Amino acid sequence: MSEDNDKTSYDSDSSKPDKMFTLKKWNSVAMWSWDVECEICAICRVQVMDACLRCQAESKKDIQSKDGACVVVWGECNHSFHHCCMSLWVKQNNRCPLCQQEWSIQRLSS
Amino acid sequence: MSLKPRRILFDEVWGCLKTTVEKVITLRAVKKDKWNDSFNDVYSICVAYPEPLADRLYTETKLFLENHVKSQLDDFGVYMMEVNDTDNSQNQLLHKYYSAWKNYSEGLGFLNSLYSYLNQQHIKKQKVSEAEILYGNGGHLSVAQEQMEIGELGLDIWRIFMIQNLGDILVKQILQGIERDRVESNLSSKDIETLNGVIHSFVMVQDYKKKGNLKLYENMFEGKMLEASGEYFKSQASKLLQTCSVSQYMQEVIRILDEENIRAHKFMHISSIQKLKKECEDRMITDHKYFLYSECKDMVSNDKRDDLKNLYTLLKPIVDGLKELIQFLLEQIKNEGTESVMNLKGENIHIQFVENMLQVHQKYENLISETFKNDPLFLSALDKACASVINSKLCDGKTACRSAELVAKYHDSLLKKSKSTESEIETKLTKSITIFKYIEDKDVYQKFYSRMLAKRLIHDQSVNMELEEVMINKLKQACGYEFTNKLHRMYTDVGISMDLNNKFNQHLKNQNNELHINLSIKILQAGAWPLGPQTAIPFAVPQEFEKPIRDFETFYNLKFSGRKLSWLHHLCHGELKVSLAKKSYLITMQTYQMAMLLLFENCDTLSCKDIKDVLQLNNNENFQKHLQSLIDSKLLTVDTEKIEESSIVSFNLDFSNKRTKFKITASLQKESPQQEVEQTHTQVDEDRKLYLQAAIVRIMKSRKVLKHNALIQEILSQSKVSFAPSIPMIKKCIESLIDKQYIERTANSSDEYSYVA
Repeated sequence: MSEDNDKTSYDSDSSKPDKMFTLKKWNSVAMWSWDVECEICAICRVQVMDACLRCQAESKKDIQSKDGACVVVWGECNHSFHHCCMSLWVKQNNRCPLCQQEWSIQRLSS
Repeated sequence: MSLKPRRILFDEVWGCLKTTVEKVITLRAVKKDKWNDSFNDVYSICVAYPEPLADRLYTETKLFLENHVKSQLDDFGVYMMEVNDTDNSQNQLLHKYYSAWKNYSEGLGFLNSLYSYLNQQHIKKQKVSEAEILYGNGGHLSVAQEQMEIGELGLDIWRIFMIQNLGDILVKQILQGIERDRVESNLSSKDIETLNGVIHSFVMVQDYKKKGNLKLYENMFEGKMLEASGEYFKSQASKLLQTCSVSQYMQEVIRILDEENIRAHKFMHISSIQKLKKECEDRMITDHKYFLYSECKDMVSNDKRDDLKNLYTLLKPIVDGLKELIQFLLEQIKNEGTESVMNLKGENIHIQFVENMLQVHQKYENLISETFKNDPLFLSALDKACASVINSKLCDGKTACRSAELVAKYHDSLLKKSKSTESEIETKLTKSITIFKYIEDKDVYQKFYSRMLAKRLIHDQSVNMELEEVMINKLKQACGYEFTNKLHRMYTDVGISMDLNNKFNQHLKNQNNELHINLSIKILQAGAWPLGPQTAIPFAVPQEFEKPIRDFETFYNLKFSGRKLSWLHHLCHGELKVSLAKKSYLITMQTYQMAMLLLFENCDTLSCKDIKDVLQLNNNENFQKHLQSLIDSKLLTVDTEKIEESSIVSFNLDFSNKRTKFKITASLQKESPQQEVEQTHTQVDEDRKLYLQAAIVRIMKSRKVLKHNALIQEILSQSKVSFAPSIPMIKKCIESLIDKQYIERTANSSDEYSYVA
C-alpha cells in the first residue's frame, strides 16, 4: 500500500494533478516517554520521566543537568525503575521490589 | 680629657655649665668648643667621684628653669594688668606668649640634647617601662615621675608656671581671635600662625606623656572652644532662619560647615576637627531638622535635585537624620508607581505595565545615584516601594495581582517574531528583569512563561533560539536552577528535534526512501511541557500520514531504546495543496482539518457521521470546531444550518480565493484567555498546596514537635523564594496533613503539632 501511495504522490508532483489533495508539508509534534508499565519509580516515588530524587538533588549543584544521565532500567519481569535507584536496591536484595522475581536486566534506556 | 670619673667641685662646674644653659634656653649663640665642653660637664657631674652628683645637677637645673620661666612670666604682668579689649593688646599678649613659647620650646630641645647623658643614664633607669604604664602600676608611677628627662621637665615647668597662670586669659583671647576669624575673616597670616602656635602649645606641653596627653588641651581649651562655637552656630542658625528659605539655608550651612572645617584645620589640634564639626551639625542641622523636613516632599515631587543633594549632605551625618527623607521618597515612589500602572486599558496592558514601571524605577534609581550617592538605605527604599506597587493586589481592582502574568506576557511579546532588532529585544529583556525580580509570585510567572514558551517553540514563533536561551539564562540567574529546569528542557528538546530531523532525512536518503512531503517533527519529552492532560485524543490517522509516522518511529527506535512516542495531532499543522480546475491553492491548516479534507479525494459528499466514524473523532466539540472552520472558509458546504450527525457535507468544487496561499485558522483557542488565566491560577494553587504540604512534612519530620506559630514562620521563610503563601492556605494544608495522619495535634496543647512517624 505504501508503494502505491508513493507512486501517486510522485505523480501529482509532476504537474499532472490527478489527485485533488496533496500533502506538501507537515509540522508534527510528538511526545516521548519511557515505554513503561508504571510511570512512577517504585523505589524513589518520582516519575521515571524525571531524574530520580538523588540525581535531582545533585544536579541542582551542577550547572547543566546531563540529560539522560539518570536512565531507566527494565528487568526481565518488565518492571522498570531508575537505574540509579535499582543499582542501590540490588546491593541489598537481588529481587525486583514489585514482583520478587530474581532481578536481571532486560534493557537500559537511551 | 679622660672619661674616668673624677673628683669635681660641683659649684665650679655647674657655674660654667649654667652660662651655657642660659644661652641655650634663650637661643643665644654658643661657641662650638664651649658647647662641646658642656657635654663633658654634664658627664663629669653625672659620674663624679666619690659619689655621682646627678641628682644635684637635676635639682639645680630644675631650679634654674623655674626661675627662667618665672621671669618670663613677669614680663606678661603688664598685659595681664591692662586687659582691655582692644584688638591691639590681645594680639600683643598672644604674640608675646607665642614667641616666648617658640623660643623656650626650641631652646629646651637643645637643652635636652645637652643633657642627654643625664637623660639616658640617670633618668631612664628610674623611668617606668611602657608595659608598667600600660598595666597601670599606679603606686610605682608617682615615685618614678619625680625625675623626668630635662626636656620633659622644662615642659612641665612651663605648664605649671606659664599656662596655669596665663591659660585663662590666653584661651579667652584665642576664642576672640577665632570669633574674629569667623566674623571678619581678615586675620593676617601672622595672627593665624600665632593662634595655631598658642593652641598647639597646650598639646605639645604634655605631648611626651603616653597617657592623657591631650587632657590639658581638652580641659583648658577645647571645651570652651566648643561651647563658644556652639553659641556662635546657634545664633547664626537663628539669624539665617529668619531670612532664608530651606534651600538657601542649606547652602549657607554647607558653606559654614566647609569654612569651619578649614578653620579647624587651620588652628586646632587634629582631635578637635570632628568635634567641632559635630557641634556645628548639632546646632545648625539637628536642632532645626524639622525645618529642613518641611520641604522634603516638595523637593522630591518637584525633582529639585540640587536641594536634595544638599539635604542629603546635611542629613547624612545626623543620627536618624535621613529616616524621614527616605520615608518621603518611599511614599513618593509608591504613589507614582501606582499611578503609572493603575487603570491601564487596551490591548497591550502588559507592555504599558512593564515599561511604565520601569520608567518610574529608572527615574528614581537615577535620582538616587545622582543625588544620594547610591546610598544603600535609599536603594532599599526604592526596592521596597517597587515591590509594594508591583505586588499590590489593587493593581486592577478586586482580582488577584496580575503582575506576574503581565510580565510574562511582556516577555512573550518581546520574544515573538517582531520587527525589533535582536539587540533591542535583548536590552528590553535585561531591563525588564529588574521588574521581574520584584514579583513575589514567581511561581505564577513561571507557569505563564512556560506556557507561552511552549506555544512559541511548538509553533515556531520565536524571534530566534539564541534569545530564548538568553532569557532562560537570565531567569536562571535570578531564580536558580530549579526555576528554569523545565524551561531549559523545553529549549533543548527543540534543538534535539532539529538534529533528529536532519538525521532522519539523511536516514531516508540512505534508504532511498522518498516521502514527498516536507516533514518536520518536534519530539518533546513528557513532563517538561505544560501541555495539560489532553494529550491523547483518539484519532484515526489518515493513510497519507501513516507512512511518515511509521518511518519515523522505526528510525526513532533505532536511535533510542525504551521510548515510546505519542503524537500530539492537535499541535500539528501542515500545508495541503488543493488542485481545483481553475487554480491550485496552498493552504495551511491543522492535521484534523487536513484529514477531513482528504476524505473528499474520492467522493464529493459525506455525512457528518461518516466523517466522524472514519476519523474516529469521538470528541464532538473538537469535531465540530474543525469542521466549522472548513465550512467557514467555504472549502466545504453543509446542507443544514447546524452541524448534526445527519448533515451532509460536500466539497465546494467552485471554491475560489484571491490568494493562492492562505491559512485556515480554526478557532484554535479552545479556551478564552480569561479561562486560561484562571486555569493557570488554579494550577499554581494546586502546586503551592503540594509544595506547602511537602514543606510542612519536612519541617515536622526534623523537628518532631513544633508550635503553630513557629511552624508558620519556618514555612514562610522556606517558600519565600518562589511565592508568598497566604496564612489560610497554610492552615488548610496543616489540616489536610492532620487528616492524612502525617502530623497530629499534641494532646496537652492546642497550638502544637507533632510528627507521626
